[in-house]
Order: sequence, then structure tokens, then C-alpha cells
Amino acid sequence: MAERNGFHALAVEAGELSMFAGRFFRNAFHRRFEWRELLRQAAINGSGSLPLVGITAFIMGLVLTVQSRPTLARFGAESMLPAMVAISVVREIAPVITALICAGKIGSSMGAELGSMKVTEQIDAMEVSGTNPFRYLAVTRIWSTTLMLPVLVVLADAIAIWASWVGVNIRDTVSWPLFYRQVFDSLEYGDILPAFAKSYFFGFAIGVVGCYKGFTTAKGTEGVGRSAHSAVVVASLLIFFLDLIAVQITDLLGLT
Amino acid sequence: MATTARPPAERVIAVRDLHVAFGANQVLRGFDLDLYRGENVMVLGKSGSGKSVLIKCIVRLLRPDAGRVEVLGQDVLALDQDQLDHLRVRIGFLFQSSALYDSMTVQENLEFPLRRHWLATARQETEALVDEVLDAVGLAHTRAMYPSELSGGMKRRIGLARTLILKPEIVLYDEPTTGLDPITGREIVELILKLQRQYNTSSIIISHDLNVAKLAANRIALLHEGRNRVEGSYADFLASDDPVVKEFFIFM
Repeated sequence: MAERNGFHALAVEAGELSMFAGRFFRNAFHRRFEWRELLRQAAINGSGSLPLVGITAFIMGLVLTVQSRPTLARFGAESMLPAMVAISVVREIAPVITALICAGKIGSSMGAELGSMKVTEQIDAMEVSGTNPFRYLAVTRIWSTTLMLPVLVVLADAIAIWASWVGVNIRDTVSWPLFYRQVFDSLEYGDILPAFAKSYFFGFAIGVVGCYKGFTTAKGTEGVGRSAHSAVVVASLLIFFLDLIAVQITDLLGLT
Repeated sequence: MATTARPPAERVIAVRDLHVAFGANQVLRGFDLDLYRGENVMVLGKSGSGKSVLIKCIVRLLRPDAGRVEVLGQDVLALDQDQLDHLRVRIGFLFQSSALYDSMTVQENLEFPLRRHWLATARQETEALVDEVLDAVGLAHTRAMYPSELSGGMKRRIGLARTLILKPEIVLYDEPTTGLDPITGREIVELILKLQRQYNTSSIIISHDLNVAKLAANRIALLHEGRNRVEGSYADFLASDDPVVKEFFIFM
């Protein structure tokens, strides 16, 4: 413990988080897999986040449409509206907004739930009863967020695009089939697949950070609060970093 | 190491020269302890003297810095994860906070150690075991309740039931009466003794409660400054001249 400055602490934290992720991969495909708990977690984290994600996606789609319209209208390019909204929603807005919402909702609840299990010795109790708490609690939770986030993102895409159609119809009248066709004419696999791929990483980041924070909770109830809050902060930051890396990779691959 | 005269019995736990430190804080500095089959050993010590650390080392929730821990003839520190899990089934651990899973009902709490095991029992058998331990602790009516609906003493009883459902050979009790009123505490001690006879377990009881010492312990070990300072019966302790022992009994 020579230096205890911010950078040192950050490096230690990053190292421990990576080790935690490594531990996940060593246990991720273990033969004694907790299927029931995975399904339970997927239901909680997936369908539990759906209302919030749905409302946000609807509002984002609608607002984006209404706000972009004047600018496009100035260039006489109002017909580009569906394409523009679809591309920005699919490529960036839906994955990042969904991930951030889930970081807030799922990350904090994982940090708090596992954190209070840790400080009340429930995790220790699992361990001494011969159940591996990492496999039972962490592996299932990390899998559930990794698998559910892309699903939520696709649903958010759909809801936001539909909301955009609603937004267009506030002033104009565009039929849904026409709007729908314009959207799909403008979208390419190069838009959809990278966004889909990165949402797996976002989901993974949320699960790993939430579980890591929960499992490393110390100092009683105060620590539980700190775990919940720092799970959200770290997961959100990580999502932006991953987004930054993802855009560089897609750029290099010429998918932009 | 102090030895008391006793009939030859199988040694189930042997702790030798145990050292544990947290940072600069040396908690255990060469602690030794033996537990023989059928016996109750109580480890007495002040708060923060490292009593809980000791039993956590026995089930390897903590890894000591140095020393040996042998349980049922196996070197705990050398086992791999699977072997350790198998050994842990034979050791019960009652947590100070009871550590009931608060997202589950009492029934699910009791089933948990059974369900997640290769000893996986049939549905009917599980039911029977749950019935049996709930009856043993006298709380059959709490089956469908959540831990938050139970009182402190009831939680401790359910914790005990959950510990016993795997029929352990050894039970480690971490402060079984702390935080309970004297009457409930006494009831818990009596329950521990009753179950001990019923299930024929050996146990280490960590406590600073002299009632536990008086009622439950066959032998007491005083943990002082990281070492096993004195060992003996309750009567030996009462008669002791050791100033540290006297300090404990001064309020009696």
C-alpha cells in the first residue's frame, strides 16, 4: 500500500474487476449449472426492465423525430426522416439508452441485493452449505443480463421506430406500411449487427459490475448503499467506454 | 498445549499453530485446539479476539496465513473445491446473524442445502426432512413465512434447523446467544443440547456468554491474544488463578 491516490485505486479496481470477469468465464460453462436460477434472473432482469425501457424508447423515438423535422424540412428532406431516425436509433440510441437504464435499474439492485446478502453472511452461509455462491448468484446473474440486454435493445428499437411514426403523424399523415418500408430500406446489416453485438457486451458489463460490487461489499449497511451506487456509476462509465471501442472497431471494419 | 484427561475418542478437528492477520492486525498467533467426537468445546474470548475468525478458518471461509487445520482426518487447506464442498456438508455452521436467505420462505431456506446438492433427495424425502427439523426446533407453523416475519430467537432456531438438515457430524456455532434476551438465549442453549443428543454431533461453540459455558461446554478454551491460553472445565475456570480468566468471571 505505498500509494493510495486516485489512480492507484482505479488501477486496483480495474484489475479486480477483470479478475472477477475471468472467474465468470472459468465458471460460465460449468456442468453443475443453475438453470432455474438463470431463468428466474432472466425473468426479473428482462421483463422487469421492459416497462421502463419501453417508455424511454417510445419517448426517445418521438422526441428525436419531432426535433429533427424542422432541420430536415429546411433542406426539403423531410422524406429522409424515417431513415435518419431509424439509423440513429438502431445504431446508437437504443443500445446505449437501454444499457444505461439497465445499469441504473439492474446494476443497483444487484449491488444492493448481493451486498446485503454479503454483509448478513448469507453468501458465506451458501458457501458452507456446499453451494458455490459464485456459480449460483453471480454466474446466473451475469448470464441473464448478457442474454437479456440484446433482446431489450431489439424491443427498444421496435418501440422507438413505431414512436417515430407516431411523431411524424402528429403533423403529417404517413401510412405505417410506407414508413416501415422506408425504415427497412435505409437499414443495412452493417447498422444492425454491430449494434446487436455491442449490446451483449453492455449486458455483460452490467452483470459483472453489479455482481462484483455486491460480492465485494464491506462495512455493513453503509457499504450496501455504496455498492449499489458505485455499481451504477462504474457500469455506466464502462458502457460508454465499450461504445467508444465498438465505434472504432466498426469504423476500422468499414461498417460505418 | 493444555490437555485434559478424557476417555480415548476419535479426534474430529485438530487446529495447529494457526496464524491469521488482517493487515497489521495479528488476530491469531499460533492457536491450537482439538475437538473429539461427541464433545462440546467452547471457545471463550473478548469481542474482536478472533473467535469467529477461528471457526471461519475451520470451514475455509478464511484462509489462514500459516498453520494446519484438520477436519475428520482431512487437511482442509489442501482440499480442492469439490472435496471441500463434500467435507463442508459434514460440518454445520450456525451464523451469528442466522444468515437466513431473506428472499426465500422458511421452507425454501431449509430445502436450499438439500436441493443444490449431489446428495439430491427425492421430493418426498425432502418434505420429510423439512418436517423433521422444523419439529425438532418447534417451529412447524413458520413453514410459509419469510425470515423478516420471524423474531430474533425464531430466526436463530430456523438457522439451527437449516444447519441440521444435512445431518452434520460437527456443528460450529458462532455466538449462538448473542443479541437474544437471557431467557431466549437459555432456550437456544437447551435446544442446542437437545439436538446435540438427538443428532449425535460434536461442536465448537464460540461465545462470550458464561451461561453457555456453564450449561453447554464440556471443555472451555480461552482465546487470549491470539493463543489458546487455558483449557479446562467450567469448574476449572471458576477455580482458576489466571488473571485473564478471573477477569471473565468477575461479574458472576
